[in-house]
Amino acid sequence: METVPDGPPAPRLEVSHTRLPLSLLAAGAVVALALIEALVSLTAPLRAPKADDWAAAERDVRAGFRAGDLIVAAPAWADPIMRMHLGDLISIPTAGRMDGARFARVWEIDQRGARAPVGRDGRVVLEHHYGALTVRQVERAAANVSYDFLARWTDAHVSRVDATGAALPCPWQGDRFQCPQIGFNYVRRQLVEVDTHLRWALLAQPVERARVVVEYPAVVLGREIAVATGLSNVWMRKAAKGPVDLVVWIDGKPAMQVTTRNESGWLISHIDTTARAGQTAAVRFEVSSTATYARYFGFAAEARS
Amino acid sequence: MSSAASPVKRDRLIALLLGIATVAWLLVAEKSEGFGRDEGQYMRAGERYWGWFEELADNIKHHNVKQSFSQGGIDRYWSDNAPDHPVIMKTLYGLSWRAFHRCTCMGPARGLHPIPVRGRHITLPLFARESTAFRFPAMLFSGLLIAMVYLFARRFVPRPAAAAGAVLALAQPHYFFHAPIACFDAPITTMAFAVGFSYWKSLRSTKWGIACGVVWGVALGTKHNAWFMPVFLAAHYLWMRRDDVLRRHRPPRIPLAFVSMALLGPPIFFAHWPWLWPAPAARVQMYFNRHLLHEHYNFEYLGMNWNNPPTDLAHKLIRTTFPFVSTSLTVPVTTLALAIWGAVLLLRRRRGDAVVADGPVEAPPEGARPSWLRPGADVDRAPGAFLATQIFGPLCLLAVPSTPIFGGVKHFMPAMPFLAVAAAIGVAALTRVLTAQVRALQRPRLARALPAALAVLLCLPAVAETERSQPDGLSHYNLLAGGFAGGASLGMNRQFWGYCVAPMLNWINQDHADNRRMYWHDVLGDALHMYKREGRLDMAVGDTGAAEPGIQASSMGLLVWEKHWAIYEGWFWESYGTVKPAYVRDREGVPLVIGYKRSVK
Repeated sequence: METVPDGPPAPRLEVSHTRLPLSLLAAGAVVALALIEALVSLTAPLRAPKADDWAAAERDVRAGFRAGDLIVAAPAWADPIMRMHLGDLISIPTAGRMDGARFARVWEIDQRGARAPVGRDGRVVLEHHYGALTVRQVERAAANVSYDFLARWTDAHVSRVDATGAALPCPWQGDRFQCPQIGFNYVRRQLVEVDTHLRWALLAQPVERARVVVEYPAVVLGREIAVATGLSNVWMRKAAKGPVDLVVWIDGKPAMQVTTRNESGWLISHIDTTARAGQTAAVRFEVSSTATYARYFGFAAEARS
Repeated sequence: MSSAASPVKRDRLIALLLGIATVAWLLVAEKSEGFGRDEGQYMRAGERYWGWFEELADNIKHHNVKQSFSQGGIDRYWSDNAPDHPVIMKTLYGLSWRAFHRCTCMGPARGLHPIPVRGRHITLPLFARESTAFRFPAMLFSGLLIAMVYLFARRFVPRPAAAAGAVLALAQPHYFFHAPIACFDAPITTMAFAVGFSYWKSLRSTKWGIACGVVWGVALGTKHNAWFMPVFLAAHYLWMRRDDVLRRHRPPRIPLAFVSMALLGPPIFFAHWPWLWPAPAARVQMYFNRHLLHEHYNFEYLGMNWNNPPTDLAHKLIRTTFPFVSTSLTVPVTTLALAIWGAVLLLRRRRGDAVVADGPVEAPPEGARPSWLRPGADVDRAPGAFLATQIFGPLCLLAVPSTPIFGGVKHFMPAMPFLAVAAAIGVAALTRVLTAQVRALQRPRLARALPAALAVLLCLPAVAETERSQPDGLSHYNLLAGGFAGGASLGMNRQFWGYCVAPMLNWINQDHADNRRMYWHDVLGDALHMYKREGRLDMAVGDTGAAEPGIQASSMGLLVWEKHWAIYEGWFWESYGTVKPAYVRDREGVPLVIGYKRSVK
């Protein structure tokens, strides 16, 4: 058996004058690191926002909040705590918004120096500090939404068009447009999860050898139509890879085609309608895929100026 | 006591004390850690395995022993959690529970046991809660690990540095979180170190060459990480004996340790697991397939959700960084710095030198001859290469893009005690530098006290970070990352498997109106049973089941926050008609669990 631990001592190393400073410097740095790390560890919990900070921020936001305002937290991971305090002021469509373009006033509750992306292009008109939290009111140039395809989704006509061009209407049934014969072939407004974020969208799963058509007969156009697309949800993206095509038609003319894949995330595309701003047109969305398995396709759109 | 034996005995005593202190710290800490979905299963399985022993005793009494060894008699108990994991730890958990719990088994929770409770259990009631009794063997394994780290580090560094290394092995938030729970990741870390240590000793000891096979057999019965241990050891062995190939132009002899592992490991593995006995080949195959074909669960890394092997080069490269980045963001930074210092020292070391200048010399004993029985007797054992293979082996394995990354740090934790040994070498080097300075100042008393003082100082951040992290070690990230908040901002995995709900059980218990229809998300039935058995959860609290139907049927519920669970929060919003949580459990402002009530709008 070995008895190594207290073996004969090795000869002492002579520390040279040229090498000493480096090792001494390193030793000092590690000792300093240990002290800093210990100090940070002990004080970090004190630097986190406290319940009182959140309560004060809540009071501030409530005092100035107007209908149509957007409330956000930064960093985004603080969003659930923000909603615990102010969630009654946030509707499901707002929480699952397509983007922030329509919001002229944004309330940010920030911590740790973070800023919300949606507020970055605006002007800070109010800034209050509550402990570790900062409340900012941001005013920004907002888009004027002339037609919200999600809000007006029951105005749409939904059908399934097969390869021969024959169209089968999908009538309204309870909470959705349900197409015949295929259970999952429906169009419904609901929350979808795209890229692990919740979005308020129309869910329209593609079906084999056919197009799912959602047509709005009378859309008031603005300078553009913003179209957001994405594939829900995490398990479906794990199970399948097929791309989904969305073709947008305006008054019978193709205006845009976008292909959405698992890795596309929440993809926002823009159709320039400046030339027809203020006019009313029929807008048709056609959803199709060559690989339809587990394709929970969601989209949202707004006509904007 | 002879003068030669005295230091060895002193070291063993220190190792024992470190082991006891480890168990004591874990016993204090474990009560705040909840039960994860895997741990609940292992506790259930452990209790069921106990049932087999109970029935075996009955069968012996009634001269019907064969019944216990029939396929039916075996499968009734041992098919629980098979083919997932071998049973050494689960059996120990079951036996520990049976021996040490304080029995309230005839009370209202009697029906929540996985096997019928025939009557009040006579036990040695060491622990107030049943779960502590289940978990106790895991804590003992951690105690054993820390003792071994000290003893191994002592081969290279003086006592204060070795003790620091032992503390740094324990005081790692993620390891510490896993150390007391009734799972396998901390025990396999112990066994990886035990296999490595016994292999190291086997290089100059025949006795340990044989023992190495036994230890590896136990490791095989602990968790499948053991499959890869010989590979890491072989890499070291080839390096250590590289002169055989490079100068003597012949392959090195196969060492006794590997022969012993090959001969003793598989039989021990087979013998320890009754479930294998009725159909050995088929069931061993099932066990292998379970892990070789394991599904990729969801896991967040650098802001992305990973649940499939990456297919494009960019994602493969990012995926490859996972164990290295995770290590650099979870291990206390001072520990990492010390380990790097230790690594530099090992890299610069010449064959036969001591690892640190005032430490023991590694050179082979004079006149030793090569032999497959003691294959390290005639050569330097290359401690740097040994630590490198034991540290980077598990890390590199988890860097292969096709391996799943769920579970995160726990899957390469066997590297960490070896990293702590490298850190101990760093402590010794740093101590030597500063002691030399103090000696130059003619302060002999200070010079004498300095090694111990520095050991304490250098362990302080790791201990503070570990204390800070509890009971949410899975969510903890180090100074480089920026703590809990920094980890969240970097998009690092926040937690998994529902361990984090224990601190909010009171919030659930209080709401009698709603908690009868409670949605539990990722907290599974076995964990709920254990909370109820221990009186931590009101027996009347309900469970509305899984996924969207479970949420729709509930009056209140919780969501364990992980990136991929977002759709579940959407189901809450739609079903409850609000985005406003009733409760958010957070750590330093980072949400961990989100509670909803249908009545809160």
